Amino acid sequence: MITQPNHVPERLALLATSAVDPFLSEELLKGEQVHGGIELAKVVEPLPEDDARWSVEPIRSLVDDAMFEFCADRTRADAWLAPRLHATLRLTRREAADKRLWNHIALAVAPDYVVWRHLPEATANRPERRVAADRFRGPADRQCFSRLWWAAELFRNGPDYEPVEVACGNQDLIHTVLRMELIDHRPTAQALVRLLKNGRVTTGREINGLSVAINTAGATLTYDALAADQPRDPVPLRKWIAEAETAPPVARHVLPEGPDEDPVPEESVTALTAYFADLFETAPVRGRKSED
Amino acid sequence: MKIYPYKRLNRPVTLRVTSVSLKLSDGTRDQLETTAYSTQQQAVALGIAGHSDWVSATIGLSATLPPGADAPDAAWSDLRVLAVLTDGETNVRTSTDLTRETADGRDWSGSLEVLRDNHLGRASLAVHAVGTVDGVRGRSIAETDRNWIIDTVSEDPVRGLQLDVQKASFSRSAREWLHAYADVPWIVDTSARVPTVFVNTDVEGVLGLLDSSGSGLDSKVRDLLVAQMATDVWTAVFHGAIGDLEVEPGGGPVFPTDWQGDVLREMLPDVIPGVHVEEALRQVHRRRTGDSGWVELQTRIHYAAARRADATKALAYAIRSLEQMNRESEK
Repeated sequence: MITQPNHVPERLALLATSAVDPFLSEELLKGEQVHGGIELAKVVEPLPEDDARWSVEPIRSLVDDAMFEFCADRTRADAWLAPRLHATLRLTRREAADKRLWNHIALAVAPDYVVWRHLPEATANRPERRVAADRFRGPADRQCFSRLWWAAELFRNGPDYEPVEVACGNQDLIHTVLRMELIDHRPTAQALVRLLKNGRVTTGREINGLSVAINTAGATLTYDALAADQPRDPVPLRKWIAEAETAPPVARHVLPEGPDEDPVPEESVTALTAYFADLFETAPVRGRKSED
Repeated sequence: MKIYPYKRLNRPVTLRVTSVSLKLSDGTRDQLETTAYSTQQQAVALGIAGHSDWVSATIGLSATLPPGADAPDAAWSDLRVLAVLTDGETNVRTSTDLTRETADGRDWSGSLEVLRDNHLGRASLAVHAVGTVDGVRGRSIAETDRNWIIDTVSEDPVRGLQLDVQKASFSRSAREWLHAYADVPWIVDTSARVPTVFVNTDVEGVLGLLDSSGSGLDSKVRDLLVAQMATDVWTAVFHGAIGDLEVEPGGGPVFPTDWQGDVLREMLPDVIPGVHVEEALRQVHRRRTGDSGWVELQTRIHYAAARRADATKALAYAIRSLEQMNRESEK
């Protein structure tokens, strides 16, 4: 297994996807060898100097802690790292949509983490172990770090990261649901977490079945009308971002707090949870026997 | 064509933007000119006033429901009209209720707030009329048939493919990855947020040619060059988009939610003519990932790209200019 590059930058930067390939070597994907870091530093575009958020050290120390804590069960690292990465980086969605930032974290700051988390076990069909390249520079819901950030952003309920922990604790949920548009509606995201939490929906097949049913019903139903969300106020997020200047490292043992935004209206979550539970009763789920 | 298990209005809702204002970071407001939006293009350009420090935009909306929405024998009750803003790049979905302008009219109006922190490029705006049908709340009864585009960066309210053109000396650029391409006049990068053409200023005179205006041979050669570049861009973006397709579990490929989706929707009718775009996407995906048919498809892809780039027109004008010039020199 590889370690971090010899040269890890002190500041985050932007790494264009077209500039990634020389560093995304076959040796790196197999977890055998990592680039030195010096050459990569030459091709990045810098971020503003005076912003505390672009300091690398807090992120590097988070991934080091995650690798230490979850060495026995690396998939569990997602639920721990997602809220803490989100609370450390403090990005707007506009900033987070820039893939170049995620490219830089994966290639320059913590390629060893990407390999540690995503190197598959050897199987009879695929004896050769190799990390999928899109874990380094792929779509937002596949890339190692952006998937965690977006999971935290879409599942947090205002400042509360607890739903994020629940959602990321289920690989099937973040794997299937994160790329679906239905999750962009905040009450829908919270209702899904609630079904997961109260044990109504657990397995991957059940989650698949339910999300397909939600999508199908959504073709004739406008969930925004069924379960209203509050308009977003841009001020709390801005304030939270400004506080990054003085914020201490995020707590390791308790959940951090997110921006002080209004939570999703409770009556909307309750209504949708009940509605989805009904949908799920009749949804076709692979492997589930119908009871009558 | 979707089938609905209940009665709906069979014509779309029409939507107009009636005003746009920006809230700046110092708390003041800037009411934008009507040139910031185009009803014909169904697009709003929030970058038009050149502000880089705006916080939010307020977009005034007016929607007209098709006839029959308020018919006494309508199958729905509790009629509501919602404007829904979505952005596939930033996973934003917000909605706002519109209100009826007059008690018995079909026009509904309201305003929608667009937060700058929530978008990197383009968002999409639709209007849904919903009601309670057979006791089921939130049924969609009619909607706009084409979304408006809210572009948070652009200075022009147009909805076509966005392109970024960058000029750089490939051999000396700070972008080191360009060095490898120093011996070609341009390259296309489809991995950036919007497709980007890098023009190599090492080719002496290329900038002068690209900036040339007027009606002389120069400008005809420029148009020919631009058509050639555009063909390259369309071909590259098509391949980029097809190569990145997400496949739904147990289902077919799905249209990407960003510009790649727009590109595919526009080009597929020329690549696989005569079928619905969803079916065309399935066929193209099957051919690329399956055993055969991908090579044969290249001609169609090139055709679709060249059509979009207006290559024939540019070539014809360039030839005409050459003929004229030759004629004049023979005199």
